[in-house]
Order: sequence, then structure tokens, then C-alpha cells
Amino acid sequence: MPGGRFAGLSERLRRAGISPRRVRRLISELEAHFDDLVAEFRLTGLSQAESESQAANRLGTEDVLAESVIARPELRSWTRRWPWLAFAVLPLLSLPVQFVFSMAAAVAIFGFSVHTLGMTPLHPGPVPWICEALQAYALWIAPMVAAAGACYFAARYRASALWPVVGSILIAILGAHTNASFQWSPALPKGAISAGIGFRFPDIGPAIGFRVLLTLVTILAPFLWVRRRESRCSLS
Amino acid sequence: MAQNSSLMSGVPELLVLRLLSAREMYGYQLAVAIRETTREAISLGEGVLYPALHAMENRGFLKTRRRTVSGRTRVYYASTPKGRRRLNELSQEWRRIAGGVEWVLAGI
Repeated sequence: MPGGRFAGLSERLRRAGISPRRVRRLISELEAHFDDLVAEFRLTGLSQAESESQAANRLGTEDVLAESVIARPELRSWTRRWPWLAFAVLPLLSLPVQFVFSMAAAVAIFGFSVHTLGMTPLHPGPVPWICEALQAYALWIAPMVAAAGACYFAARYRASALWPVVGSILIAILGAHTNASFQWSPALPKGAISAGIGFRFPDIGPAIGFRVLLTLVTILAPFLWVRRRESRCSLS
Repeated sequence: MAQNSSLMSGVPELLVLRLLSAREMYGYQLAVAIRETTREAISLGEGVLYPALHAMENRGFLKTRRRTVSGRTRVYYASTPKGRRRLNELSQEWRRIAGGVEWVLAGI
């Protein structure tokens, strides 16, 4: 059967807040049912075209099928009921989680290298580089990952752009105010590592402004551009 | 056959639960079974069956498992203990209503 037979229905259901996973399963079941009906009509002697037409009639029009799913609120995704949670609060909460995990990994690597491998500031090996990479991840990459997650899932669930935009802005601001530092110099016998979240409102320095803009420009701008293009395509 | 939606309310659920209490089936098999066992007295839009099945699965009345048959993955539906209890409730309700209607018809 043509792969795009239910493409319109699939898009309608996703826009109505049905989760992509459920839509995939529904479409797969409808496709299988359609094929079975075509085979049934073929056995009665109808041509392929006639069988497909009869099968489509028996299955129901796209409007009927869409309405039958949309009329059941229990089939809607939780992201439709709580978009603020899915696309703003959870991505925002993922930022401190990522920060804590990356700093915990740095501390673990630091401790393992000092206590188990017996490394010292004079012979640090790759430890400072690994810790600096984790620090860079926490400071620069984690906000982008959190904002990208919000935007990606909002696009996937065909959700309104409002909450991922709000979430990305909050993530960019919180991410820009996050600080982490790593020290392992000969002045310190065994080195030291520290991390923390700092807030300096309203003293917004150029570095913080740059970090906010970096997240917004790299993640939010492409997301909004794609959404605008999609809405133009659907209008035309 | 045209159906009165208010009279038909709950009937698809009753039919599905009754048929699936006997054996597990995938959507097409279920639609054929409804057609055959009701002698086409009840005609459901066959595609409309799926949201009903998904909703019943959500409510815990049905369980599913995937099986690959002849290269195609089928979702088989089966009744759960909760579904069987629901079937009993719906059957009793249906018999009560049908009995009431019978009494009215017999009295005319």
C-alpha cells in the first residue's frame, strides 16, 4: 500500500496532542487493517483499485478516524496537558542535574587519580584536561543541551512554541550564572576542585550576557526559524 | 445499517470485551468477528475500533502483545481480569435494559 496513505491523519493526530509513539502504533495498525481488507476484497474478485476503494470506505474517512481519536482525551499525551512542565520546567531542572553529574564525575576522576593512582600536581597526567572538559561541559554545553531538548521535544510533539521559548530563556539565564572551577597547581599538595552556582543579578557582566546569547542564538533562533517555516508551509 | 449513537453507547466496549474474553485477536480479526457474530447487524467503522481498543488498554481492561506473522507485526489484544469484571458489569447492564425493552414490547 502507498506509504503516505495515513500521512495526513498522522500529522493531524500529532497536532491534536496525541503522542508520536501512539500515533505510530495507530497508523501501523490501520495500515495492516487496510492491507487485510484489500486482500479480503481481492478474494471476492474485485480489482486492486476497487479493493482499495472498498477498504478505505470500510475503514472510515480521515475525518472520522481523526475525530474518533481526538474525542478521547485519555489518548492525549501528558505533554499536551502540562506543556509548561514538559517544555520548560523539566528541561530547566535538567540543567542543575547535568551540572551536578559533570562535577561529580570530575570529583570522582580527581579523587581516583590522587588516592588510587597516586598522581600529584607535578605529575597530573590527563586528569586536568578531563576535569576541564567536564567543567566546560557544565558551563557551556549543558545549557545548550537542556534548551535543545526542550525545543526538540516541543517540535516532535507539535507543541506551541511558547513553553520551549520560556524554558530556553530561563535555561540560558541560569546556565550563564553557573560557575565551576578546578585547581591543581604545585602550590596545593594534592590539588583542589570546587563547583557552585552563583547569581549576580542585576550585575550582568558581558561574559554572562555572551553566555546567555550563545544558548539563545544557537538553539532558540534555529528552532523559531524552523517553526516559522513550518507554519508558513501549512498555511500555503 | 444506521445506528442510533445514544442507544449504541457502550455496545462496542461490550462486544470487544466479550470477543476478547474468548481469545486474543488483532484489530482486523476483531472487526471480522464483530461482523460475523452480529450477522452485520452492528456495523462499526472499522478504523474507529482502534482508539476504542487503545482507550480500553489505557483503562487496564485489555493487554497487548506484539507478534510477527508473515513478516508483519500484529498487535494482539486480550482481556485482563479487570476487563472481565467490566464485561460482567456491562453484560448485566445490557441484560437489564434489554429485559426492560422486552417487557415494553410484550405489553403493547
